Amino acid sequence: MSLYELLGTVEVGLVFGLVAFGAYLSFKVLDFPDLTVEGSFPLGGAVCATLIAAFGWNPWLATLGAAAAGFAAGWITAYLNVRFNILHILAGILVAIALYSVNLRIMDGPNKPLLNASTVFSGLEGWGVPTYMLSPALLLIMVIVIKIALGLFLHTGVGLGMRAAGANPAMAEANGVNVGRMKLMGIGLANALTGMAGGLFAQIFGAADAYMGIGVIIIGLASVIVGMSLMPTRTVAQAIFACLIGALLYRFAVALSLNADFLGLKASDVQLVTAILVVVTLVSQSSRSGFGKLLKRKPR
Amino acid sequence: MIEASNICVTFNKGTPLQATALRDVSLSVPDGQFLTVIGSNGAGKSTSLNVIAGLVRPESGKVMVAGSDVTDWPVYRRAKLISRVFQDPKMGTCEDLTILENFALAYGRTTPRGFSFAIDKTLRERAAERLKLLGLGLENRLNDKVGLLSGGQRQAVSLLMATSGETRVLLLDEHTAALDPKTAEFVMELTRTIVAELKLTSVMVTHSMAQALHYGDRTVMFHRGKIIFDVSGEKRAALTVPDMLDLFKRDQGEELSDDALLLG
Repeated sequence: MSLYELLGTVEVGLVFGLVAFGAYLSFKVLDFPDLTVEGSFPLGGAVCATLIAAFGWNPWLATLGAAAAGFAAGWITAYLNVRFNILHILAGILVAIALYSVNLRIMDGPNKPLLNASTVFSGLEGWGVPTYMLSPALLLIMVIVIKIALGLFLHTGVGLGMRAAGANPAMAEANGVNVGRMKLMGIGLANALTGMAGGLFAQIFGAADAYMGIGVIIIGLASVIVGMSLMPTRTVAQAIFACLIGALLYRFAVALSLNADFLGLKASDVQLVTAILVVVTLVSQSSRSGFGKLLKRKPR
Repeated sequence: MIEASNICVTFNKGTPLQATALRDVSLSVPDGQFLTVIGSNGAGKSTSLNVIAGLVRPESGKVMVAGSDVTDWPVYRRAKLISRVFQDPKMGTCEDLTILENFALAYGRTTPRGFSFAIDKTLRERAAERLKLLGLGLENRLNDKVGLLSGGQRQAVSLLMATSGETRVLLLDEHTAALDPKTAEFVMELTRTIVAELKLTSVMVTHSMAQALHYGDRTVMFHRGKIIFDVSGEKRAALTVPDMLDLFKRDQGEELSDDALLLG
């Protein structure tokens, strides 16, 4: 693996770190298996690319626009669940499917190129250092800022209410937490992070695509599972950090499988490798024997 | 303080599983009274507690707490006025959160939750001070997750949490039933001390007649969705468990003879 490839992997890993933060918020904090991300990731990409390419927005504002669109998508999923009692998984699938059409409308076609358009990474040119080195650094700063902000949020009064709403809803209600509102806010926030990741992803690859959301749910979930089973997760800050490390490790595993010509793997096998990796991690988490012990630091 | 009037509750209405839980029950608990509630399974005692807490919406009737009509309030809104200790020690506390975070949640019941940090120095001191009452050394374990505590410890912490803040009404739903006898007594004595100290209006549901008569200052008994007797003061002080069993038998007998009359 060359330095160029290595930094490219880190770059994508960091972007998916944001997706992993979202998955941590929905799956771990709120105990809400949210599949909306399959739609909100390309939604973020579509909104961001369209705002930049068609409306000439500032790329930073367009990235925030992607986050806002993601928030709206997550909010709708949570609303279907809270208000109409639709099963959370089903609500997420419904919204993700609907978003596929919405994304085609937004982009006015199956994709939106960002050729020669200015992105958040454009400002990195002309510093005398190649952009493929600077853009991972910029992403790292952004992801660390968001990681700290998320950690702080979960320690505020509202954040604590959100954690209780996921861990013990009856107790949370008895202590005056509006569990429904927490779901709306939390799932909205999780998809805002995913939408933002989609927007950044589109800017890195120079285009948004209607199909870019396929498998995002697995990537997010796999990052959380891999990270949290390898790293200590005693405090919230540790758990969020573990998700970020998980996203990076996951990306490296994928990069490795893409380069594994010696194993007879082809680039098109990546989804299969992905699924197998997740199954292996899940099995190792649930079994208390065999290779589970090798992967787990502290058995529960 | 608590004024429930003409409450009717039917579960699974219109299905073959239809069950009437409360038949036109009215119950008034004045300020500062410690009411104990007994009754057999399905008598309606837990349902009446759930009606006050907001978990069960009555078909008809009205619930007033501290001068507000709370009949249409959801549980989280009523939490400003009412706090509760559950039967299951796992229910009253959040095991993934630390002891201190659980306290912060409980304080959030009466003070609005915002975007400032949930835990500060004041809260830490207040929680430590409250936990010292228990004499279990928990004030030195503030950052331990509640999941690490035993059932009795968790129930004691739940009780402290429920009685922190400015809540005036305390609901206890067989809160010692899942504990061993010694721990149950410890938690009951703690309940008695705190309720007396803070002059809380309390409603305690229990399965144990001895407990119902020993604690509190008024006892009501539910049977088949109705209150069949209500004793307080000197009459209650003179009452023993065998007396109460006799009363219960007599009342059941009356019910039975009523049925016989209807059938005959």
